[in-house]
Amino acid sequence: MAKVSQIPNLDNSPLNLRSLREQSQRELVNILKNVRGKKCLVIDPKLSGSLSLIIQTSVLMEYGVELRHLSADPLETDISKIVYLVRSQFELMKFISSQVHNDISKGLQREYHVYFVPRREVVCEKVLEEEKVHHLMTIGEYPLYMVPFDEDVISFELDCVNKEFQVDGDTSSLWHIAKAIHKLESFSGLIPNVRAKGRCSVRVADILTRMQTEEPVNSHDMGIPEINTVILLDREVDMVTPMCSQLTYEGLIDEFFHINNGSVELDASILGAQQQEGKKMKHPLNSSDKLFKETRDLNFEVVVQVLRQKATSMKEDYAEMTSTNQSVSELKDFVKKLNSLPEMTRHINLAQHLTTFTSKQSFLARLNMEHTIVEAESYDICFEHIEELIHKQEPLISVLRLLILFSVTNSGLPKKHFDYLRRELLHSYGFEHIATLNNLEKAGLLRKQESKSNWLTIKRALQLVVEDTDTANPNDISYVFSGYAPLSIRLVHHAIRSGWRPMEEILRLLPGPHSETKRSALKIALLCYFGNLCLPCFRVADGRRSLVLVVFIGGVTFAEIAALRFLSAQEGMAYDVMVATTKMISGNSLTESYVEKLG
Amino acid sequence: MANVSVAAEWQLLINRYYRKPEIYQMRWKHIDLSRNKIACAPFGGPIAVIRDDSKIVQLYSESALRKLRIFNSAGVLLSETVWKHPGGRLIGMSWTEDQTLICIVQDGTIYRYNIHGECLDPNYSMGKECFEQNVIECVFWANGVVCLTEAGKLFCVMDFKEIKSFKLGDVGIEAEEELPHCMAVIDPQYIASGNVRVLLGIGEGIVIVDEDEVTHIEGEKVQGPVQKISVTRDGNWLACFMHDGRLVVMNMNFEALFQYQCESALPPEQMVWCAMDSVLLYWDDMLLLVGPSSEDSVRYIYDEPVFLIAECDGVRILSNTSMEFLQMVPDSTVSIFKIGSTSPASLLFDALDHFDRRSAKADENLRLIKSALPEAVEACIDAAGHEFDASRQQTLLRAASYGQAFSSNFERERIQEMSKTLRVLNAVRNPEIGIPLSIQQYKTLTAPVLIARLINAHQHLLSLRISEYLGMNQEVVIMHWACAKITASSAFQDAALLEILLDKLRLCKGISYAAVAAHADKSGRRKLAAMLVEHEPRSSKQVPLLLSIGEEDTALMKAIESGDTDLVYLVLFHIWQKRPALEFFGTIQARPLARDMFITYARCYKHEFLKDFFLSTGQLQEVAFLLWKESWERGRNPMASKGSPLHGPRIKLIEKSHNLFAETKENTFESKAAEEHAKLLRIQHELEVATKQAIFVDSSISDTIRTCIVLGNDKFASKVKTEFKVSEKRWYWLKVFALATVRNWDALEKFSREKRPPVGYRPFVEACIEADEKGEALKYIPKLADPGERAEAYARVGMAKEAADAASQAKDGELLGRLRMSFAQNTAASSLFDTLRDRLSFQGVP
Repeated sequence: MAKVSQIPNLDNSPLNLRSLREQSQRELVNILKNVRGKKCLVIDPKLSGSLSLIIQTSVLMEYGVELRHLSADPLETDISKIVYLVRSQFELMKFISSQVHNDISKGLQREYHVYFVPRREVVCEKVLEEEKVHHLMTIGEYPLYMVPFDEDVISFELDCVNKEFQVDGDTSSLWHIAKAIHKLESFSGLIPNVRAKGRCSVRVADILTRMQTEEPVNSHDMGIPEINTVILLDREVDMVTPMCSQLTYEGLIDEFFHINNGSVELDASILGAQQQEGKKMKHPLNSSDKLFKETRDLNFEVVVQVLRQKATSMKEDYAEMTSTNQSVSELKDFVKKLNSLPEMTRHINLAQHLTTFTSKQSFLARLNMEHTIVEAESYDICFEHIEELIHKQEPLISVLRLLILFSVTNSGLPKKHFDYLRRELLHSYGFEHIATLNNLEKAGLLRKQESKSNWLTIKRALQLVVEDTDTANPNDISYVFSGYAPLSIRLVHHAIRSGWRPMEEILRLLPGPHSETKRSALKIALLCYFGNLCLPCFRVADGRRSLVLVVFIGGVTFAEIAALRFLSAQEGMAYDVMVATTKMISGNSLTESYVEKLG
Repeated sequence: MANVSVAAEWQLLINRYYRKPEIYQMRWKHIDLSRNKIACAPFGGPIAVIRDDSKIVQLYSESALRKLRIFNSAGVLLSETVWKHPGGRLIGMSWTEDQTLICIVQDGTIYRYNIHGECLDPNYSMGKECFEQNVIECVFWANGVVCLTEAGKLFCVMDFKEIKSFKLGDVGIEAEEELPHCMAVIDPQYIASGNVRVLLGIGEGIVIVDEDEVTHIEGEKVQGPVQKISVTRDGNWLACFMHDGRLVVMNMNFEALFQYQCESALPPEQMVWCAMDSVLLYWDDMLLLVGPSSEDSVRYIYDEPVFLIAECDGVRILSNTSMEFLQMVPDSTVSIFKIGSTSPASLLFDALDHFDRRSAKADENLRLIKSALPEAVEACIDAAGHEFDASRQQTLLRAASYGQAFSSNFERERIQEMSKTLRVLNAVRNPEIGIPLSIQQYKTLTAPVLIARLINAHQHLLSLRISEYLGMNQEVVIMHWACAKITASSAFQDAALLEILLDKLRLCKGISYAAVAAHADKSGRRKLAAMLVEHEPRSSKQVPLLLSIGEEDTALMKAIESGDTDLVYLVLFHIWQKRPALEFFGTIQARPLARDMFITYARCYKHEFLKDFFLSTGQLQEVAFLLWKESWERGRNPMASKGSPLHGPRIKLIEKSHNLFAETKENTFESKAAEEHAKLLRIQHELEVATKQAIFVDSSISDTIRTCIVLGNDKFASKVKTEFKVSEKRWYWLKVFALATVRNWDALEKFSREKRPPVGYRPFVEACIEADEKGEALKYIPKLADPGERAEAYARVGMAKEAADAASQAKDGELLGRLRMSFAQNTAASSLFDTLRDRLSFQGVP
């Protein structure tokens, strides 16, 4: 049985993500080689998820590694060489310091190495200095700026870009994003067109330009750049889409069971494994799984049908097999099909399990409400519904998610309602959430209404709500939300097709500035000058289509990626689309990033 | 014939030829080697000359003060300086690999000079013992030295880049008579342990001294006393001159390989290895070349003093008037020029001669060579490389190129490559530059090192041309030039100098302006530094430098522009340390990014300092948030509030926070919330006292009400409700669900009858259904006002018929469809829905 690995197969990627991943593997192995002998590798838990997409744990073992997760607790190991692999974050520095202090108090003499991902930072070293452990450390870097999640998805693995930027004014991530794109350019050539919308995006585009002057991408040996255009989009520009429940197969799995680093963890029984009853099991979800590749982006209603069809045809084949005499080649085909049986069983089980959630009345009511809010024509109904959810003390995150959707589509709430709902929230969930409310207000997600909402204009101009969506044979991206076309993807579509210029009026209604830059490496400029090459019709030599890289700053949902893949598969689309995101998000995880309890 | 004259200058030693062409006529005047101490750097390096103060010499018309003079290998004066150092006689003088002149005087002080005759600070000492005992001999290797003191102790410096002297193993010498006759050192890089090894000729035998180990090799084995020792470059072979005039060559186990009986029993003044094959000895007016494994020798007579410089492929012989290079004649040269040679290479060389004279014999020669042509061409190229004479190089290369024309399978680049190398070699061999590198030395030295040496000698233009010619990065050259220019141009105005510098720096893309600026700063030209650093495109280099030249504000601005928050922090911490708090606050308040980064950091680590910041900038609400947050930390950490009434301090903090919020109009909501929070904590505290259960503090108002009702304490619940003006709507939801939790159905029913519920009966229905009490739910379902809601409720308790009735009453087709779905298994029920829906659609309702 071919088991799908958690490390995605990248052979079909339009970019050479494979060599990118191999470089990251090599760099990690070199770090391990540098520290001779047996060592205890202590990994920041968030990182270990990313690493599982880069390298197999068994490979680490070959280099004499004992693995641990970094936590506040003292480190229990007999090994005297400790290698910390951590993101550059203060709280992790505290953990390291406390572990070192613990060792000192026990009289243990150990050799400490700290490798920062993706680079060492003054502020972290400052913390180590203040904790008086800095002099004990050998410090290095592991420049992991991005992780390929799938053939067409890269993640920069930055957790709370939105919250950090909007609430704390911390722009560290923006530099990181620019650096990652710049690094990508060193593989694929200078990207000639940069289009950005939103405060972060425009800043990233600026930094990218700076980086090009500081350390130019060497374009001599590159030839034609593989990526023709990069489109940078702030999550802030479209906070509506992620707050709506995703209705694609993959999106729903994420909404209900959370997909982490390309795999979902479920009860083994659900996945159809007989052994280990009640145990959790990880199931990788990426395009190496052919059936999943076929179904992940479909509306879930359709997925059930597709799976049923496949099962039926298999059954028919089987019946034929047993009844009539078959040639050897036909038998072979059948056996081949049989090989996919376990996969199919697993997906049927998974889909069935999902159905128990999607058929719940509460879920349907929620979808209904989301739709009503997005339609933005029945304010009172929405308000009362949310009020009731608070009174019933429904889970805070799901309430906030709806409330954000409500506030964003209305450009805030009238002061009376704003104060009232906030008070009800504090009364129902506790005063410690004043910090959360403060964060949401600073981020502009839950705020006082100051001007009339322009959502209706936007909705109309971009045709966000589409009646009569045929989810089975979609002709528009609105199928992913059964009738709502994600704003973000509409923007991307326009940006790919014609650039920002024809739609500047709409762009002005959305938060943040926009920019459009043309850049060229010398060689291309020369080629164009001599007329050997005309810019708009780049085609990479082997006949592949040229690429558009869409970067979501602040995260992207699976449903949006589905919509993008749908676009890219349309006739008349001149480009392949590659997605880069700071993080894979869902409405819940995005909302959670703003939650901060005082207590 | 020309060929004959070439070979006529060779001497045969057993089966090998040696030659010693003159490379230079020395350009210097009135230098007598015998009056001076000499230090010559290998690889054609500079020559340092100073009057030998251990000899009695007659002074001519010259100052009594000694001068240290530095020449290039052609005797062109590079620099001179007066020697005025105390510390006694100059004992040892030698050049290091990076061409620093090391001078060691009697008391163990080490003075260092660069090639420009500038004494480098600081001076070092070989240590107290050396100071007391006096150094009497120094033996150098590439980067280190071993000194012998009068007391027979050995001291060592392993690396002149990082001078630290230490004592080697003690040989145990007591009296002056026991002092070693001679001394040699093996370069640490050829010793497995990486430590230096010293060989001493003591008494009849040899003593080996390592860092902390002393080994005696007895006289019987060595058959000493040994008067002079010389070691090959790779440390594998020893040449020992014995007291009776024997020259013995041994391996490192002191097994004699061969010996040669010299005419004189007097030890030679100098004795060096010529490459690895032969030993060269020098007495007063005679050089003796002794080859290994035989008793043959070659002698050269000199009527002036000479100085021997060992190279990797021969020996340079410096005399008062000339510089010669003694080497074994390379095989390729032998094959071409040996008298009577008929080798293909020789024939090819000859063919060119015929060709030039338009003789048909050229063709005949070529035919003789036939298939050996490629190897003949190769030999000519190789031989050209070994020549110092440009015209002979040319002839040989022409021969090669002539042969190549007839040879199809030959790498054509070889000739090109050799011409390139020779051009470089000829350029540096020019007497004005004076670096007489042989091709092998050049290859050993490598081009980058050669360029580094040229730069060091301030031959910037030549090094720039060479690196350009060889396609190497010119950054090093331009960088060094710029720094040297700054040092040398103290008279220039900043602006003028900047223009001159920029003009050249622009030649090289990606050059580090910051590094040049750093040099300008070190040279005391801060203003120039500031102007230069402005041109640095890399913020990561620019910002740290701006900090080091005290331009903090510009640094902060540049860091912010770069978008690299790491740089912002770098500047931030720097300023933080340097400026008083208030000034620091002022600086960052004006720059949002710096301010926000500071706040982010301070939130985690400098709570109190952050409070000061907010207070000083008038952001009272932020202080209020901080205090509020603290109140929770107090709550979580019971140790902090031990002794005092449990929640007193917490409540005080929250009230303080409430007051601060009240200061600004925008924060009325927060102020009110803080007030309520304080009140809630008080009530919860009372509740805990009254109920003797610690379950209230830190739960929300709604949860407090629920808990009260669950505990059956309606009075308290109502009290909380009125205190916080809880709306009737919320009150109903809370109470209904609380009663359902404890399954108090009677109380629930009683509650439903109290008055008409403000939110209808939905809470009652939902609570009962969730508790799975169909019977109880049915009490309230009929009371639901909205037929749609009623239908859904019936459906949820599984009553299809009632659900259908209600739905048809609601005239909602979509609802009917959904209900049909949920009753899909139940055929009777689903057909019921179908009929109903059909009826609806007839009526034209969707």
